[in-house]
Amino acid sequence: MFLFSKAEDSSRLKQLRALSLFSTLNPRELKTVDGLLHERSFLQDEVIFDQGEEGQALYIIESGKVLICRQGQSALGKIAELGAGRLFGELALLDNSPRVAQARAVEGCTLAVLFRADFLGLLETHAVIASKISLQLARHIGQRLRETVNAPGSQSE
Amino acid sequence: MNRSSGPVVWIAIIASTCLLLFLFKKILWLVVPFMLALIIYYFLQPATHRLVLHGLSRKAAAAITGGGFIALLLLCAALLFPWVSSHAVGWQVSLARYVEGGSLLLQKTMKGLEAQFSFLERASLSRNVSEQIATFTETFAQHYLADLVVTLAAWLPSLLLAPFLAFFFLRDGRRFTKFIGNAVPNAFFERTLYLMHEMDKTARAYFQGLISLTILDTIALAIGLWIIGLSGALMLGLVCAVLAWIPYVGSILGCLLVVLVAATDFPLDPWMAYGAIIVFILVRLLDDFVFMPLTIGRSLRMHPLLTVLMIFVGGAVAGVPGLMLVLPLLGIAMVVGETVGMIVTDPRLQARHAYARSLRARQAAADLQS
Repeated sequence: MFLFSKAEDSSRLKQLRALSLFSTLNPRELKTVDGLLHERSFLQDEVIFDQGEEGQALYIIESGKVLICRQGQSALGKIAELGAGRLFGELALLDNSPRVAQARAVEGCTLAVLFRADFLGLLETHAVIASKISLQLARHIGQRLRETVNAPGSQSE
Repeated sequence: MNRSSGPVVWIAIIASTCLLLFLFKKILWLVVPFMLALIIYYFLQPATHRLVLHGLSRKAAAAITGGGFIALLLLCAALLFPWVSSHAVGWQVSLARYVEGGSLLLQKTMKGLEAQFSFLERASLSRNVSEQIATFTETFAQHYLADLVVTLAAWLPSLLLAPFLAFFFLRDGRRFTKFIGNAVPNAFFERTLYLMHEMDKTARAYFQGLISLTILDTIALAIGLWIIGLSGALMLGLVCAVLAWIPYVGSILGCLLVVLVAATDFPLDPWMAYGAIIVFILVRLLDDFVFMPLTIGRSLRMHPLLTVLMIFVGGAVAGVPGLMLVLPLLGIAMVVGETVGMIVTDPRLQARHAYARSLRARQAAADLQS
């Protein structure tokens, strides 16, 4: 039926479901989210965003690798290297604060981008989808926090 | 985002607004339905939004609200056409009656002025004005009616475009954002997304503000005219509120309309016409100082002096359409100008873009160099 057509489980939706942020969404919800996502390709060494820049979007790595580092210190200031399925720039989704680190493509990569205004719109129009994404986001941030606390040299525990 | 545009950006914003007005004047047949479509789009957007909230897909919601609106228009047209045909003769008589009523009021006022000031009597002010009005009304049909009918017929197809355009805006608005986003280089991508979001926010605030303002104006004027005892107060209020979409000229036309009705309904009581003028002025003041800041004023974040100046510029560049278009155009030009200004004057973004281009050039030439 036109009004409530069953979502096709296409390869694109499978690809999206493989991403941790969207792993709890059903096919119809994935289709809604797919309508909001932008896809960008970056070449090796291309800057995705700079430290201090006002963040407007969250990035999810579909393929390739991304380096998160201190501004201009790719080697010494390395914070993390992320592969396919991981996300970064998530704090931009929560507030207007500047980016805390620089993101660069380690190799040619394809990223899905979720713009903050679209996510805020999703909170209003599709509260269930937004709450599922928010929960995954909270889990992701919790995981990051745990990793930081358990990191060697940490004085928190 | 931090906004601090310099004089160069502001000159560019004003110049591009004027240029757009000049160009739009040449393609009014497309711009007017487009603007109407935007008004309908932002009018229907909350309903579409509500349907999406209830679990419908965006396409289905757009089909229901857009299709429903088009069906409603067609139904109104189907119902109104026989009614208009049967009342057309009566309206012709009423129109003549209202023009006569207005002319009588004018004559009385002129005679009153002549009694007060003898130099006006010597200049035969009352007789001259009456003669000119009589000539105008007698030759109106001969000179203007045919042109008016032809113009209306020529505009009808493009005006009919508006609801269909609005339907596609509702249905495919997001695709358009994606399409534009895809064409933008990586370095400017986030800023461009932000720009489009801000443009949509500005336009939505303006047009939804305009709709709210029209409703508030209609209610205030209808209550005022009803209190002084004028007939058809609600309809008059609505017509005047819609006419007020055209700055200055629309208000004058609305005031004339109210005075004509008051002078005809109460031919022996000129104070009724003066009362209607007072009500009209009070509602305009209420509009300027209370309703406007509460609705449209907040959307455009413009200095009042700039607003007034740009309205004059709009009128000078593109006439009556210019008066209507200048503020929304300036609002959008402001958002675009400020953001483009930020991108162009940001050396880091430019450097990143240049670096990405060099990377792409190197990649494209990789096998040529080996």
